[in-house]
Amino acid sequence: MNKDWVLSQEAFDALLDWLDSDREQAGIKYEEIRARLIIIFTGRGCVDAEDLADETINRVTKRLSKIREEFTGDPTRYFFGVANKVYMEYIRRKPPQPSPFLPPDSNQAEVEFRCLEHCTDSLSEENRYLLLKYYGAEGRSKIDQRRQLAEELGIAPNALRIRAYRIRLGLQECVEKCIERSEE
Amino acid sequence: MNPNIDKQEMRSYLLGNLEADRRAAIEESILCDPGVYEELLVVEEELIDQHITNNLSPSERQQFEANFLITAERQKNLRFGRLLRRYLDSQPVPISPENIPVAVRQTETPAPAKKFLPFIAGPFGRSAGIAISAAVVASIAIIAFICWVSTKKPQQRTVQEDSSQLVKVVQLAPGSQRSEGVATQRVPIPPKGFDVRLELQVTNTSFRNYKSELLRENNSLKTANELKAEPRGEQHIVPWTITGDVLRPGDYQVRLSGVVDSGQDEFIDNYSFRVIK
Repeated sequence: MNKDWVLSQEAFDALLDWLDSDREQAGIKYEEIRARLIIIFTGRGCVDAEDLADETINRVTKRLSKIREEFTGDPTRYFFGVANKVYMEYIRRKPPQPSPFLPPDSNQAEVEFRCLEHCTDSLSEENRYLLLKYYGAEGRSKIDQRRQLAEELGIAPNALRIRAYRIRLGLQECVEKCIERSEE
Repeated sequence: MNPNIDKQEMRSYLLGNLEADRRAAIEESILCDPGVYEELLVVEEELIDQHITNNLSPSERQQFEANFLITAERQKNLRFGRLLRRYLDSQPVPISPENIPVAVRQTETPAPAKKFLPFIAGPFGRSAGIAISAAVVASIAIIAFICWVSTKKPQQRTVQEDSSQLVKVVQLAPGSQRSEGVATQRVPIPPKGFDVRLELQVTNTSFRNYKSELLRENNSLKTANELKAEPRGEQHIVPWTITGDVLRPGDYQVRLSGVVDSGQDEFIDNYSFRVIK
């Protein structure tokens, strides 16, 4: 593939149109496909999974007019096929090594902590309660506490796991935005 | 979720020790089954927590560090996991279950009407129960619609208003009403870029407007002249938003005065707080 090829707005619009005739739905599908490709590349040990996911999407977009003529079915599967090819090329090259994990310095850690306080303060009372109770306990008491919490809320343990995860995800996004703002 | 993929298999997938054919099956499910994708993210987060709390076996720990922690995104998630753990460790035991708002428990409880409206099964009989249930459902729908409308509004706000997200709220009771021995309220120094909204409790709301002055060691730092009281539950507050960068560690005082119709100022009270690192 021509490495200099750049995704134009027109090409991106055509891709969205292929994913779904409704623009909003197409945007959601695009994000979902990209996130899943990143997970798949990461699962195969690719350090730059995001770049590979974007490379996969670019290749599909570039060939889109031909794909639309020849391919019928769920577009997601087509991305999967292209991702396999991108991966094969990747392992033939010398893949980059992962960066070491570096904990934040004390000043940064303090900013992060204050942002987390701010974001938990802005949670609804029930979500804050769920967060503290679900993630608060450790060890054996964690299992009991989570079971009790699921009973309290009248939901299945797995539904509780997913609910807690979504609250945590929202919290993480809030903290990341807060840190970005504080760095401006 | 795909019943052919269990949690243990997902752990193995994330830790990079799954057989190639099973890995391919999981990859296909990730792409095509939203349930599998979300479940995988949950398992990923659980692995991170287990790593933080030293609950992975030695081999899992080694796999986690060698195979799992390879992308910047996952390193970021680990960092957040550690931050959250630090925060949770600093928090008191969660409030008792009785304090959960009823609405929360109702949300997903299988038979909320029976639990929260016990009189339905009483002498009103079944038809009355159905009618009341319908009324409750209608009320919930109206409340849900109001909530939906209120949550839609912020998306249409201007950027300037959106920046108000970075506001730390500090509620202050009047100094003269504090009982003896009550420590001065401590306020962590706000992060850079934050505003601080001081909410000054007042009992007298008959003033035309309010004036306030922020002092540190008797030096005036900021003043405001056109503040208004607003209801907050059963009380009233005078909100005053100041830029966070004016605050450094130390003791602060807010002097609040009310302006009567004649234009005269009338001292109301002092409010104290301590900014800490």
